[in-house]
Amino acid sequence: MVIAPSAVDLSARIGALELPLPTLMGSGCYGSGEEYAPFVDLSQIGGVVLKSVTRWPRLGNPTPRLVPTPAGMLNAIGLQNPGIDYYLRHEVAKFASRPCKVIGSVAGFSVDDYSYVAERLAQCDELHAIEVNISCPNVASEGETFACDPYLTGRVVRAVRSVTGKPLIVKLSPNVTDIASIAREAQDAGADALAVINTVRGMSIDVNTWKPRLGNVTGGLSGPAIRPIAVLAVYEVARAVTVPIVGQGGIETLSDALEFFLAGAAAISIGTANFTDPRIPVRIVDELREYLAHRGVRSLREIVGKANVGIGSPDQYEGDEG
Amino acid sequence: MAVGMHAVSAASVHQARVLDRTELAPGVVLIGFDAPDLVDVTRPGQFVMAIPPGGERAATALGVYEAQGNRASILFFVCGPRTRELSELREGDHLAVSGPLGNGFTFTNARHVAIVAGGVGIASVLLPAQHLVRKGIRTQLYYGARTARLLVEMERFAAEGCEIVCATDDGSFGRPGFVTEALAEAREKPDLILACGPSPMLRATAAVAAKLGVPAQVSLEETFACGVGGCWGCVVPIDRASAQAPGFPGPGEGGSDVVYARVCKEGPVFWAHELRW
Repeated sequence: MVIAPSAVDLSARIGALELPLPTLMGSGCYGSGEEYAPFVDLSQIGGVVLKSVTRWPRLGNPTPRLVPTPAGMLNAIGLQNPGIDYYLRHEVAKFASRPCKVIGSVAGFSVDDYSYVAERLAQCDELHAIEVNISCPNVASEGETFACDPYLTGRVVRAVRSVTGKPLIVKLSPNVTDIASIAREAQDAGADALAVINTVRGMSIDVNTWKPRLGNVTGGLSGPAIRPIAVLAVYEVARAVTVPIVGQGGIETLSDALEFFLAGAAAISIGTANFTDPRIPVRIVDELREYLAHRGVRSLREIVGKANVGIGSPDQYEGDEG
Repeated sequence: MAVGMHAVSAASVHQARVLDRTELAPGVVLIGFDAPDLVDVTRPGQFVMAIPPGGERAATALGVYEAQGNRASILFFVCGPRTRELSELREGDHLAVSGPLGNGFTFTNARHVAIVAGGVGIASVLLPAQHLVRKGIRTQLYYGARTARLLVEMERFAAEGCEIVCATDDGSFGRPGFVTEALAEAREKPDLILACGPSPMLRATAAVAAKLGVPAQVSLEETFACGVGGCWGCVVPIDRASAQAPGFPGPGEGGSDVVYARVCKEGPVFWAHELRW
């Protein structure tokens, strides 16, 4: 059976949101999309997840905010943003002209913060969905607390769910003991999809000055260094929930992307790889079409979760003793 | 006369062919490449992100050294895996760069300009020097480096028509010590200072400029991730009142009189007196 690459269906569904292409650009990595427009045809990506916005303006963390690390980088930006009032007045209107889907992102420090900001974002026709960032590792203690506690995750997601009918993507943290239990709570509280994973907490120390390299001391690790962590997290979450997963963490190539789809992601998100080469997301889409056509697969949806063979099944140890 | 009022226009990814490679000194490499579209739109002080040929590492921000005809060039010190990889490019190889990026230097109606360059900072000041000399403006280059062999391209700047004052940390050429000390003792005061180099040199330049009462623009070096304004990683604190301050609510609206501006987007060139570094 011969399938033309152009006939392969790469669409993905996130709740009521239909993505024509399964590639989102990660929140905080891609500005509002405008910044990358000179280098990328934005109609060739699925969508942009905007930088998180909070109730009040935030100056962000002291510098330095970035440290290159082996196979990745640490960042500690600290949610620098002008706050929801300024954002709605001066920024949201610009998003209407994007030739791809635009997904807002809300962050906060209390359940009330999240529902307040989400309710206001929900009024914006320019936004096709809302990501709930309960997993920023870089704001003084509270930021990640929500994603590290099933009860708080449930409360935040329920509160946001009650103020908007827009598709909700809840972004989970890898810095937890059991990501599956958090994922179940988010689903039960009304999440339409789960973004798996945010950055992994990390630190780097300057051995000349004997001081932490980041102004915030700790940061979030991204890039290929965290890919196996992310693939496992997607795999585990896929076994625990039925809502679609947006897989992310160090995706740079077609092969990386396939790992996430096979682990159970319906769509992927690309962040740090854009810093290496802004052409990577479009290249992955082109190569994915070719790959699926070559394998005789008509729709990306057919391969989602295909690698799911269980975890620690006793069978795999049988006959292992010789 | 504010810096940074121009919108970045016509930036794109340029798939270029390496035309020439010269090792100016051990570990100091000049690579010329064929990128006519880049040449057409680059303003003095702008930079490019060099996409790593192997795709294994983050892109590298480099000032555009020369831009003429079909040829642009980058000049860099080999100081890590990324610059090492770039240094291994040879004539005929392909090099992808995105740019031009950032806002360059602003040329006021100054008649006498002192350009201060430290080390690899020389890579961002040839274009402004050429621009000034061609307009008949007296242009001095205050050029400092650790040691004599790292004072590359002096003949080039002399040939362009710059007056050159040199200093080396080890005294192996020119004045011993920092070039900013020479600037502080200059007999004739310039009416504009432009600087590019390591952060301590830029701070010293800013201090000298303030003492002399001369406006100064500094081109900052910072660790970049995206290089295009998308990630807010490369920021520097700046007066909120600056024309280069990003849109942000003011004091009384929960804001502050200092905000973080992106070195890659609002910069890399800032008015020294507006920085709160």
